[in-house]
Amino acid sequence: MAAAETPEGILLELRPAGLIPRFYAFVLDWVIRIAISFAALTAAAFMGGLGLAFWFILLFALEWLYPIVFELTPSGATPGKRTFGLKVVMDNGLPVTPAASVARNLLRAADFLPFTYGLAIVSMLLRADCKRLGDIAAATLVVHERPAVGKTAMAVVPPLVPVRPLAPEDQAAIVALAVRAPRLTADRLDELAALAGAVSGDAGRAGPDVTRRVLGVARWALGRR
Amino acid sequence: MMTPLRFEQMYEEEWKELERLLDQVRGRRLRAEPNLTVSGAVIAALYRRACEHLALARARFYPAYLIDRLERVTADAHQLIYNRRELGFARAKTIVAVDFPSAVRKQVRHVAMAALTFLLPMIVVGLFVYSHPELILSVVDIETAASFEQMYSPSADSIGRTRTASTDWMMFGFYIRNNVGVAFQCFAAGLFAGVGTLFFLGYNGAFAGALAGYLTERGLSSTFYSFVATHTAFEVTAIVLSGAAGLRLGHSLIAPGRLTRVQSLVAATRESAILLYGVTAMLFVAAAVEAFWSSATWLPPSVKYGVAAICWTAILAYFTFQGRRAD
Repeated sequence: MAAAETPEGILLELRPAGLIPRFYAFVLDWVIRIAISFAALTAAAFMGGLGLAFWFILLFALEWLYPIVFELTPSGATPGKRTFGLKVVMDNGLPVTPAASVARNLLRAADFLPFTYGLAIVSMLLRADCKRLGDIAAATLVVHERPAVGKTAMAVVPPLVPVRPLAPEDQAAIVALAVRAPRLTADRLDELAALAGAVSGDAGRAGPDVTRRVLGVARWALGRR
Repeated sequence: MMTPLRFEQMYEEEWKELERLLDQVRGRRLRAEPNLTVSGAVIAALYRRACEHLALARARFYPAYLIDRLERVTADAHQLIYNRRELGFARAKTIVAVDFPSAVRKQVRHVAMAALTFLLPMIVVGLFVYSHPELILSVVDIETAASFEQMYSPSADSIGRTRTASTDWMMFGFYIRNNVGVAFQCFAAGLFAGVGTLFFLGYNGAFAGALAGYLTERGLSSTFYSFVATHTAFEVTAIVLSGAAGLRLGHSLIAPGRLTRVQSLVAATRESAILLYGVTAMLFVAAAVEAFWSSATWLPPSVKYGVAAICWTAILAYFTFQGRRAD
């Protein structure tokens, strides 16, 4: 987990993407490019020399410009990266600049050595932020897009005043349990709620009633009265 | 008492408004509201408020969904507000008029080193092959050597390509793909402390020298030199400049000065981007000249040499004088 601080003094969380999702994204982009170049070659075959000129220029564009052009769109990702929820950003969390995108993509020629992106793979495996050489030089980062988290519906139980004052951290833990509750099995939820039994005066007991009371405390902590 | 729910109720309208404005700016709803105007000042104010709310929510351990929502909206606004748009026609104009030649002048030592690395092997190998033509066979095999002779023979339909090869247009595409690849390779190999750049520059120089020495010895100098004279003004210069950018990378790693090696590399990479824009443009010009002008057999060599002299003078003058006032 990397973080970038904004001028407003808040930390933006950046989640660097590892080797495997980046590999999938690369393979998808590669397939797309191969498909386009074959389709274009078929079309070029009917156009003679001019067609072949376009085909060679297209090969150049697919090889070098494809990632640059897509990284400079608002999504900051090639179709492959977008499919796997990745995007390219600067180290400080901002959209990638044209100069950085050009540099990181031209340096693929170095990352590719000695064969099949050997240096890129070694560099990505050795670094916590999973940068290849081009990312290091261009000060860019490939991160996971933030997954869409909807507001989870919490169980509607009567709010309950805790039997003792709760520190903010404890309140947060209880609320987090209540938010996760719909995704847990009933037995597991009872087990976890029993650990927090002390807040509703149920220390040492377990069961659906204890769970209801602990969730009630969570509703209270959120502000229901 | 302030509780998470009360906090959310109090400020949710502001967050919704910010989310709505961000959506509009990113064009998602442009079709629904075609004549909208978004005030940047409003977005900036709402963004700063949301930043405060996020800091409060984190400090007070508010529930994850609340923090997550604030993180998302502040991250989106941050991307929008601090986005630097440096593409466009005006930017391209200043690059051509000032930034590119000025960057070349700033890197004059690396340019000189790259030029020497290219030219010395070219001259030495060229002279060797000229005095011992059989040495060409240690560079290429015998069929390739024969095809070179055929490519540059005065009776060829168009100079610089085999009879089987197709039209000017096809060669234009081929030269772009090939030459840009060589230039980018020269740049990227600089990441290995500059050694890779030195190798590729020397290799390409030696190959060009071997070819020139061989063809001169075979008595084909008039077709060969009139062919290469013009487009090399752009092509060799571009390769040397991309090599200079590569050497700049290598130099930044070897001698980072007061910076860390990574900081030094990042600064060097940012500087070399301008060179790479210029190099790419020059290689497109070179490919066009090589495909349509250099290969033409109906032009007498004297015309080609005249144009070549103009091109070389122009390109050297461009790098020496263009944009000096803005330096």
